Amino acid sequence: MKTVSSSIGAILLAGTFLSGTPAAWADSRDDEIRQLRDQIQQLDQKLRVLERKQEIRDEEAASKANAAVKVSASDKGFTLASGDAANSLRLRALLQADSRWFFGDHVSNNDAFLLRRARLIFEGGFNKIYEYQLVPEFGGTSGNGTLTLLDANINVALKPGLQIRFGRFREPVGLEQLQSDSVAFFAERSIVSQFVPNRDVGVQVAGNVLNGTLSYAVGVFNGVADGANNANNSDTNDDKDVAARLFSHPFKNTEGALSGLGIGIAGSVGHQGSGAGATPALTSGYRTDAQQTWFSYRSTTVAAGGTWRLSPQAYYYYGPLGVMGEYVISSVEAANGTNRRTVRNKAWQLSAGYVLTGEDSGYKGVTPKSNFSLESGTWGAFEIVGRIGQGKIGDDAFAGGSLSLANPNAAAKKVSTYGVGLNWYLSRAVRASADVFHADFDYAAGAAPVRTSVIADDENALVTRLQLLF
Amino acid sequence: MKLLKSSSLALLVSLSATWLAPAVSQAASLLNVSYDVAREFYKDVNPAFAQDWKTRTGETVTIQQSHGGSSKQVRSVIDGLAADVVTMNQALDIDALANAGLIPADWSSRLPEHSAPTTSTILFIVRKGNPKGIKDWDDLVRSGVSVVIPNPKTAGNGRYSYLAAWGYALKKNGGDQGKAREFVQKLFANVPVLDTGGRGATTTFAQRAIGDVLLTFESEVTLMLREFGSDNLEVVVPSVSILAENPVVWVDKVVKRKGTEKLAKAYLEFLYTPAVQEIAVKHHLRPRDPALLAKHSDEFKPIPMFTIEEIAGSWSEAQKVHFSDGGLFDQIYERK
Repeated sequence: MKTVSSSIGAILLAGTFLSGTPAAWADSRDDEIRQLRDQIQQLDQKLRVLERKQEIRDEEAASKANAAVKVSASDKGFTLASGDAANSLRLRALLQADSRWFFGDHVSNNDAFLLRRARLIFEGGFNKIYEYQLVPEFGGTSGNGTLTLLDANINVALKPGLQIRFGRFREPVGLEQLQSDSVAFFAERSIVSQFVPNRDVGVQVAGNVLNGTLSYAVGVFNGVADGANNANNSDTNDDKDVAARLFSHPFKNTEGALSGLGIGIAGSVGHQGSGAGATPALTSGYRTDAQQTWFSYRSTTVAAGGTWRLSPQAYYYYGPLGVMGEYVISSVEAANGTNRRTVRNKAWQLSAGYVLTGEDSGYKGVTPKSNFSLESGTWGAFEIVGRIGQGKIGDDAFAGGSLSLANPNAAAKKVSTYGVGLNWYLSRAVRASADVFHADFDYAAGAAPVRTSVIADDENALVTRLQLLF
Repeated sequence: MKLLKSSSLALLVSLSATWLAPAVSQAASLLNVSYDVAREFYKDVNPAFAQDWKTRTGETVTIQQSHGGSSKQVRSVIDGLAADVVTMNQALDIDALANAGLIPADWSSRLPEHSAPTTSTILFIVRKGNPKGIKDWDDLVRSGVSVVIPNPKTAGNGRYSYLAAWGYALKKNGGDQGKAREFVQKLFANVPVLDTGGRGATTTFAQRAIGDVLLTFESEVTLMLREFGSDNLEVVVPSVSILAENPVVWVDKVVKRKGTEKLAKAYLEFLYTPAVQEIAVKHHLRPRDPALLAKHSDEFKPIPMFTIEEIAGSWSEAQKVHFSDGGLFDQIYERK
């Protein structure tokens, strides 16, 4: 280091002699350093200005992007939303192409292909508070060319614990009925759902409270018969039905095996009909799993008084396993001429599903980890399902001789149903299923069904479905 | 069972009432839509008013604040943001509400002091030691001086700074508008970045270390010194500046719809009380009370100030001549 220092010193000394006096040399060097410093500062400022301008441009671009209308498309639907997401429209659809095949029956023209459901689902919201839903149905019984409006309602979502819904929607009674049919274990709901009201027109207050562990709903409706949709704003009288439901997920906020347990109770009470000659306001018929009517009242029988229903219900989901159980008592006052009676009908069902490919089962369905793809060799998800159920008609339905409320030769007194099935989730949007159903019937004392009636033989059926839902 | 009709409806109504009660009580609230740098001031004012209101009426009131660039905030109110009161830093923004039919045109006469309970003015902030020797307006147009001012077309802060420079040049040159135009043109030739709001300009100057001097509200100066350190920055008080009034108004269309008119008026009247005037001092806003202003003369230097009316006729005239599309600012500012 000494050698280097003395060399630099010698160079500096020589430079001094060459460039003039030491003072002049120092001044010149200071000017040069000052100029260089100024240049560096100017360059630094220019660089900072350029960076800041870019930053401002980025902020403005982000701000514009936030204000712009957002369009999204996925297998959950197509959405148009304002930049702040306060106003939106989502378009979804449900399409179900079914076939039903009956074995060993004597009913003619029973096997068929059918368009079970074909719905467009419009939903969205305004101002982050007002939500809406419009669901026209083109399939099902509408498949004959009649268009029906299934759901049409406005929900005022003040907060999670306080939501007020107006319009047409499902009454808060049946557990399985409240589950979207597109995600249920089986292509068709169980017999229990025949004994609870479906969609009706009214107003409901509902919400989730206690950190989401308890949901409640109570509503006032025009009132509908078991399994019925109020598709045309009908009401048989000025009285209104009240339906209410409490459902708890007591361990929802825990990590344990019970976190997927839900248990609740629901019911309704009301008054239907206004005596003989009034609109029936009774079920158009209880159907089997394969959708054949096994019980109906006589055409001259009408609702004539109070109705009530009570339904304890529960489900349990844990990993790929799902179990659902429900019981219902449905009581109705009915009359056929002078024969006026209270009929108390009961039903129950227990169903279960297991996702063979390991995905989680849930009340909102199964989402496959991978889509079916021949190219990538993935198959989607597979689920096996099973169900047993029973429906039983009150004895009073068959009492009264020729004025009995139901014809014992055309209507069974009890049905026991059994079903197994396989669901193949090809993707989140596409599901294929095949269900095998068996039903056997018990009759009222002395009944002799005609050979060609639905209830004359046990029901053995295969129901297949290809479903598109987005 | 006939009772079901009345009983079911009663059930629903009572259930709704039970649940709606908290929602209704929440309606006893005000939304104050304000400009960017007033956040801290109203954060102190609101609990004081809530306490005062509770003492006087026994009612609980909640006041929500919304802050942002003044013009953007006003645009939101015009577009439907349900502001009970709007508190801004210039009358132009409030006039926009009047033009939209949300408040009457004579809004400024509804409360004392042109409905402006506090004022401020434009000062300079320079780097510690004032390396460029900036003392007054003329120093801002020197070659090599870099000035940070937000965009006068989008920021109240920028509009006041622009008009303060305009007013200075106008007065210095005996009302010669040509000289004033030349002055602001030179000034904005020294502005390297145009931020859209006051906050952005502060970021540019203090955090990104751009420029030699920042023009901003007196109320912002002390906050900046506190936030970014008085060992890095210092204040320069020019020889003359502009009177910046902070007007407040209740939004008639909103308060009538929400039933909050009485509450909104009381809230704004409260801003003139000695208690709030003291809070204003704490936040470096000039109080309207002359005695209080004199008491704090160390902080609020007695600067000669001119008004918008003196140098531009009115805010609407200033907007039309200087800040409208194709106006004087568009003509003199060369985008870099």
